[in-house]
Amino acid sequence: MKNTEPSKALGSVWIFGDYRNYFQNRVTLQLIAKGKDLAERLETEVTVLVLGDRIHQYAMEYVAHGADVVLAVDHPHLKAYQVETYTRIIAEIAAEYRPEILLGGATSFGRELFPRLAVRLETGLSSDCIALEIDPETGLLLQTSPAFGGDLLAEVITPDHRPQMATVHPGVFKERPHDSGAVGRIVYPDVEIRPDTRVELLRSRPQQGRKGGLEEASVVFAGGRGMGHAEAFAILYELAELIGGEVGATRPAVRAGWAEEERLLGQTGKSIKPKLLISAGASGALQYTAGIQNAEIIVAVNRDPNAPIFKMADLGLVGDARSIMALLLEELRKRL
Amino acid sequence: MNTNIVVCIKQVPDVAKVRIDHQRMTIIREGVDSIINPLDGVALEAALALREKEGGAITALTMGPLQSQEALREALASGADRGVLLTDPRFAGADTWATSKTLARAISLLQPAVDLILCGRQTIDSDTGHVGPQIAELLDLPQVCGVTEIHKEQDALTVKRISDGFLDTLRLSLPALLTVSHELCVPHYIPLGRLERAFSDIPLTRWGLEDLGLREEEVGFRGSATRVTRLFTPPPRRKGESITGASSLLVEHLIRKLEALGIIDEEHGTK
Amino acid sequence: MHLELTMKQAVIRRTVRKFAEERLAPRAVQIDASGEFPLELAREMAGLDYFGLEIPPEFGGAGLDSVSYTLIIEEISRASAAMGVCVSVHNSVGAYPIYQFGTEAQRRSFLVPLARGEHIGTFCLTEPNAGSDVSSLETTAIRDGDSYILNGNKIFVTNGGVSETNLVFAVSNPSEPRKRFSVFIVESSRPGLEKGPIEDLLGMRGNAVCSISFHDCRIPVENRLGEEGQGLKMALSTLDGGRLGIAAQAIGLAEACLENSLKYAGERYQFGAPLTSFGTIQGFLADMATRIDAARLLLHRACRLRDQKQNYSSQSAMAKLFSSELAVDCARVGVQIHGGYGCTKPYAVERFYRDAKICEIYEGASEVQRMVIARHLLNA
Repeated sequence: MKNTEPSKALGSVWIFGDYRNYFQNRVTLQLIAKGKDLAERLETEVTVLVLGDRIHQYAMEYVAHGADVVLAVDHPHLKAYQVETYTRIIAEIAAEYRPEILLGGATSFGRELFPRLAVRLETGLSSDCIALEIDPETGLLLQTSPAFGGDLLAEVITPDHRPQMATVHPGVFKERPHDSGAVGRIVYPDVEIRPDTRVELLRSRPQQGRKGGLEEASVVFAGGRGMGHAEAFAILYELAELIGGEVGATRPAVRAGWAEEERLLGQTGKSIKPKLLISAGASGALQYTAGIQNAEIIVAVNRDPNAPIFKMADLGLVGDARSIMALLLEELRKRL
Repeated sequence: MNTNIVVCIKQVPDVAKVRIDHQRMTIIREGVDSIINPLDGVALEAALALREKEGGAITALTMGPLQSQEALREALASGADRGVLLTDPRFAGADTWATSKTLARAISLLQPAVDLILCGRQTIDSDTGHVGPQIAELLDLPQVCGVTEIHKEQDALTVKRISDGFLDTLRLSLPALLTVSHELCVPHYIPLGRLERAFSDIPLTRWGLEDLGLREEEVGFRGSATRVTRLFTPPPRRKGESITGASSLLVEHLIRKLEALGIIDEEHGTK
Repeated sequence: MHLELTMKQAVIRRTVRKFAEERLAPRAVQIDASGEFPLELAREMAGLDYFGLEIPPEFGGAGLDSVSYTLIIEEISRASAAMGVCVSVHNSVGAYPIYQFGTEAQRRSFLVPLARGEHIGTFCLTEPNAGSDVSSLETTAIRDGDSYILNGNKIFVTNGGVSETNLVFAVSNPSEPRKRFSVFIVESSRPGLEKGPIEDLLGMRGNAVCSISFHDCRIPVENRLGEEGQGLKMALSTLDGGRLGIAAQAIGLAEACLENSLKYAGERYQFGAPLTSFGTIQGFLADMATRIDAARLLLHRACRLRDQKQNYSSQSAMAKLFSSELAVDCARVGVQIHGGYGCTKPYAVERFYRDAKICEIYEGASEVQRMVIARHLLNA
């Protein structure tokens, strides 16, 4: 929608509330916290928009975590998250209340819903943002969005259209602690609910831990081309087994046949968040680092002191990956 | 029964080979090949598989400068029946919305009418994943994103995809739009004879602003809602130390780190 | 650095490079170590038309021009010189002569399976007593009714170990001074054809090189390629084209040496700085790069002449001579830059050093190339 005066009846910084998997999926709470920041600067309030079935408890949670207002659309037909149904409902509500900003988590669902919704609302969208600020001069939302797997950042604005929409990567912002004394308004807008008939969900089951549980592992050894050959790469499997971790690989290593496709890390593979990631023999190409950048601690081992991987490592070891990993295995075997 | 498929293709720099110019805050394109976005290649491969089973025609569609016809020729060599290039200086500077408007209009003009649109889930340069859902919205089509399996029976598609930790099985009817994920299939290598013919035999369709019947305000920079105000490289997120030295010294550091993180216990072995 | 390629040639190069990096390069070390011909890989390449590059589509090939052809050989060789030679020899001297000189029937029965890579081809020229001195060859082909009977020994036959179709160069008319030789298509299954063990090679390992001997090997007259007595002319014409492939193969190898050296020199620190900061090393790299570009230009020129159907013997000799000596030199310098590491197996330059040497010897040794060029100069 072209920019017109937003309604003051509700807060004008809106957050799409994704309550699925509530205890693990904290992105809504993180966005509420950031939303409060933004709202303060715009002298307005934070509204969480949540759709679903029997959601009152979540609405309360959102208030406890900082929401000033919760717009709740509660209906059995909304039990399963559905793109077209949600697009229609949210667009209707947004058209009526005209928020200034609409944020959502860059979950799989968020990444499917928001682009469609942005077109429905005829406005702009930036995705996977890693930073959001209000420009002190213009009052516009400054959206920092990554490109090229995260190595180039773009600052984006939506000057003439509203709401300014953005999805945010989980883990970027910190949630506010639960405050049972917090006060907020829960509103149930009157919206027509028509279930979507065009896409039918036949079955949905939790994804089994994939081979090796790479995404669950707290320690991951990630090997690249610098390991040299299959026998050397195999050292990583032994290390992982010894310590109780997992093995990931870069594209060149997978191509060489040293690791299966399921172990591929990066833009076209898996994104993981282990406690510790040891990257051995990978120079740190953008495609790869996109998959490991969220690890808590990164240790990089590479022969080239100028390798890009060292820019994102907490500890860098400059040396031959093969011999260092072999020696590490030997030393650990002695101790364990 | 014949299924007419459009595969949206984008020509992107080979991100694996791209380097960043930290001074000028741009990417260094020189010497870097332009390739078909890998997930678009997967989409094309899936289209080929569907055509083999069902018959129909595959149109490869791309928006870009004249150079993008390279990508279309490659798509033709892979097996697409027809290539359509949307090119016009006024299309430049488009954000994803303007791009989607342009692509969607082109799709709506194609004859015979399109039954299925396949896109890669996202590109390796912009990573947004917007264009698929936005085209679906503009053409009022049902969408499923990140598809890992496609089965077609008559006019219905049964697809699988992984979304937020769940493996979903969904059914939808044509016409529809799907975006695909890597698990769906692996693009085949193109036989050289087909490449040779794709560059000689088959003419490409070229459409500009007037051919699409769009106004200048709807496309390109003017048709965009978002603007990029600046580009920059992220500061190193971690200020780690780099150590050089004998392997034994380095391994010692590493072991101490493992101990500090509680991953191994100094005396008793693994936690 | 590449010359002005058409859009098509650029895409072809990129496509083959992708295949070479993803499918060939990871196996190159293993192929070299085992010395075994990679049949699976060959089948994969066959499916992508790599064995019918210059043969027109009507005979099952890809119908590419000479520039595209040499780009492909270069890209394959950059990943694995052994596979580059296999594909080059099959295409330019194994299959192409049948296209150029064969009857319609010969093209149908022999050329099509070769172009499709269902059969692998060879060119059997060299003998124990005839290397550069081709006219000393002793294999005989004696007419007997509606057959020829072949007797003799061919050695160092590239692709010999895996071939089905062999072009054999033999003496058919001993008494006619300028028309002594003819060329014959001999299927490996012919009784009287015997293959020796695969040679244990210094380099280009994985190439199935062996000797092929003929003991009263009887072949029908229909298997003779071209006219009786025209063998020398056909061989020389064929070798002109073969040189282009080998030049491309040498360039690919040289390029691999340069790339590896650049990478290593950027990572290796001595005296507190990377090797790339030292003038000597910069000089090495600059010379390699310059000469590789020069080699490409020489090759490109020869290809253009060939595609324009002009005489290109001297130019192809120049290309082959220059590139092959360049490859040996780049391998030498590459190892030098790597220092001690360059003499160990884990480093690719070690293999390049062993692979390079034969480039100066096969398909016309450097000395022979110089003869060709000199003759051209002196006759002009």
